Amino acid sequence: MTPVLELRDLRVTYAGGHAAVRGVDLTLLPGQTLGLAGESGCGKSSLAMSVLRLLPKDAQVSGEILLDGEDTRAMSWGRLRAVRWASASIVFQGAMHALNPVRRVGTQIAEPMRLHASLPEDQVEARVAQLLAQVELPPEKARAYPHELSGGQKQRVMIAMALACGPRLVIADEPTTALDVIVQAQVLALVTRLVAEQGIGLVMISHDLSVLGSVCERLAVMYEGQVVELGSAPTVVHDPQHAHTKALAAAFPTVGDPASRYAPATTNPAGVPPKVVPRAGEPLLRTQALRVDFRQRGGGWMRAVNDVSLEVGRGEIVALVGQSGSGKTTLARTVLGLQQPSGGQVLYDGRPLPRGSRGLREYRREAQLVLQDPTSALNPRHTVYEAVAEGLRIHRMPGDERELVAAALEAAELRPAGRYMPVLPHRLSGGQRQRVVIAGALALRPRLLVADEPVASLDASVRGEILALLLRLRAELGLAALVITHDLGLAWNIADRVAVMYRGELVEVGEVEQVLLAPRHEYTQSLLAALPEVAPVT
Amino acid sequence: MTSPAWARRRDAAGRAWREFAANRGGLVGLVVLAVFVLVAALGPVLIDDADLDVTRATGDRLRSPSGEFWLGTDENGRSVLALTLWGTQLSLVVGLAAALLSVVIGTTVGILAGHFGGWLSAVLLRFTDFFLIMPSLVLAIALSAVLDGGAGTIILAIGVVSWPASARLVRAQTLAVEARPYIERSRALGGGHGHVIFKHVLPSVLPLVFVNTTLAVGTAIVAESTLRFLGLGDTNEITWGGLLRSAGSSGAITYGAWWYLLPPGIAIVLLVLAFTLVGRALETVLNPKLRERR
Repeated sequence: MTPVLELRDLRVTYAGGHAAVRGVDLTLLPGQTLGLAGESGCGKSSLAMSVLRLLPKDAQVSGEILLDGEDTRAMSWGRLRAVRWASASIVFQGAMHALNPVRRVGTQIAEPMRLHASLPEDQVEARVAQLLAQVELPPEKARAYPHELSGGQKQRVMIAMALACGPRLVIADEPTTALDVIVQAQVLALVTRLVAEQGIGLVMISHDLSVLGSVCERLAVMYEGQVVELGSAPTVVHDPQHAHTKALAAAFPTVGDPASRYAPATTNPAGVPPKVVPRAGEPLLRTQALRVDFRQRGGGWMRAVNDVSLEVGRGEIVALVGQSGSGKTTLARTVLGLQQPSGGQVLYDGRPLPRGSRGLREYRREAQLVLQDPTSALNPRHTVYEAVAEGLRIHRMPGDERELVAAALEAAELRPAGRYMPVLPHRLSGGQRQRVVIAGALALRPRLLVADEPVASLDASVRGEILALLLRLRAELGLAALVITHDLGLAWNIADRVAVMYRGELVEVGEVEQVLLAPRHEYTQSLLAALPEVAPVT
Repeated sequence: MTSPAWARRRDAAGRAWREFAANRGGLVGLVVLAVFVLVAALGPVLIDDADLDVTRATGDRLRSPSGEFWLGTDENGRSVLALTLWGTQLSLVVGLAAALLSVVIGTTVGILAGHFGGWLSAVLLRFTDFFLIMPSLVLAIALSAVLDGGAGTIILAIGVVSWPASARLVRAQTLAVEARPYIERSRALGGGHGHVIFKHVLPSVLPLVFVNTTLAVGTAIVAESTLRFLGLGDTNEITWGGLLRSAGSSGAITYGAWWYLLPPGIAIVLLVLAFTLVGRALETVLNPKLRERR
């Protein structure tokens, strides 16, 4: 049987000599599924794009890319156009941006069929309806515009589009990265079913081993442009051989695995501190029947946070879990006084949050924010020193500024501090940037840290390091933290208590073990059921 | 900790200069501009007061160019060359001052409207709209007629009518910067309005303001000449617009005295062109989007 895709010694080098892919051999038979795992910059997307020659002009490709036995590198322009989509198609990363916002999705699904004239015009509409049915969408959705669809529905449209011309190979580049856990589970189930039914070869790219493991038969792990491990999915996930695969596998813990409780994967010699029992007594932060309403465009009110009463004790780490749009970020902003509540109140240290600007400034010395994306959370024109010193200058903290900045950088484990001070953010890695943001917060010696998805935009290996840092800060400085996340594994890794938020309300609050292992509310149960699972080694 | 910051700024300035030097139009504009500035600065040294005094004029009236008067004479027998050179100073000063005034007002209003939003923004924007729809020349004429004559009035008149465009521009840029998460972080750190405006918003708006000022100077010079040509301001001050006016009123046009009309006219065109060329070149340097399109 001819493989649908065969790569022989594939190399991709960009102008400037950066080798993104350095000698990869892979074979995919019809109906097989292959997962490609790796961190950002490991060359997995370059590899995927090289298959259909979609790389930018400055990329040098060498080696052989055989699509159904035919080398795409040797194809004429016309032949390449015929092959694109008809025999291999791509589900692009970020369905939000890959769809044209001003055209109906039906037209967009039909576009490749019309381009390739694979069907007579009068059958195109029927085929679109059939494709929508395959991705479990009602045929009326063909008349919808992308903004009228949810994230999961858009991703289904992208999949329908990829299947339009009946390709033999589908390449899915991070198809579920921006989706919520439950939607992710649905999309993954859909992909699995379609691949099995239609005998398509699938190459799926992701940074999340468990997502790949739940869909693919085989896994290839890429590191610095090379495949470092290749094998059956369960073996790679449960019994990784290469050090990098081990790091990837450990980064996403299995909820319920006692080994990863209070133990995020870290290679830092400081290790993970022993468990700290939060001090009892008056909680540091308390919200009482908090409500936040937003006025909607075109009239009416939207209740983002509804009757939320939450406590964060001194030195306690509380994880606030929920899907996007559940109001968890609004709750965090209200807790920090960045958003005025419509009802109820926030109590800090037993006293209601001040409303005046002077009182709020005092409060903000004690409660600090760590944002999701460290790249945009730092002013690109400010050096690390300026970014960390910003809070010190605002509050005119006593003491030598340089020493305080150095201490904060050291506390965030950017050592030696002097080396980082004059650097601009764009020269740092994602993990280092997040440490700068944390150092900026630590410089003010806060007692409460509110972290909004602190590791969501970071690579797997960095994720564990940042989480371990949060645990160590709690042990050493007695720092309490409210960590907002959609990731149950994170809660299992570091939190003492977990609060589940659904449609603006807290549906379940309790000890991590109790909530995650014996969930009572059905929403928590469906969240847990949606976690991707990898079959055990057979 | 200023040294790395300064080194970085020096680097950035060096890069910007290389980018600018690659733009031939901008370079030509810069050279022309330098010549005008030199003439304006050296005016009092080069030109004798006697040349400008009507009572001590040595030439005949409206003589065509000759060895003695390279660009001929005006209706009072003064050298047109000397008058044109002398006019450079006032034209430049008024143009720069008026542009500066307009950009300062525009930037302040723009940042306030963009930063605070809400009712303050609504009020400021309606205020801006009001000035935007006023026929600016008519407003400037009215202003300079009501206030007393002199360069100050002309500066005020031009500055007050030309700020709304930069206010709109700066507001848009402010809104774009304010949407970045680092502004949110700064607020969460306890930064007040002043901190956010001066530490984050202003530095990222400044390049835009700088370009805008350069382009605004050209417009202001034309406006100044227009007002002078219409006979507003102190008629004893020697400016290019004023020269054109006296050429018109003294019958130089019917007489065919092209040497009286052309020098100040060409000077205006050259100076405005120089400012526009430099402004456009700066715009491509400071706005990466335009640079790619080129």
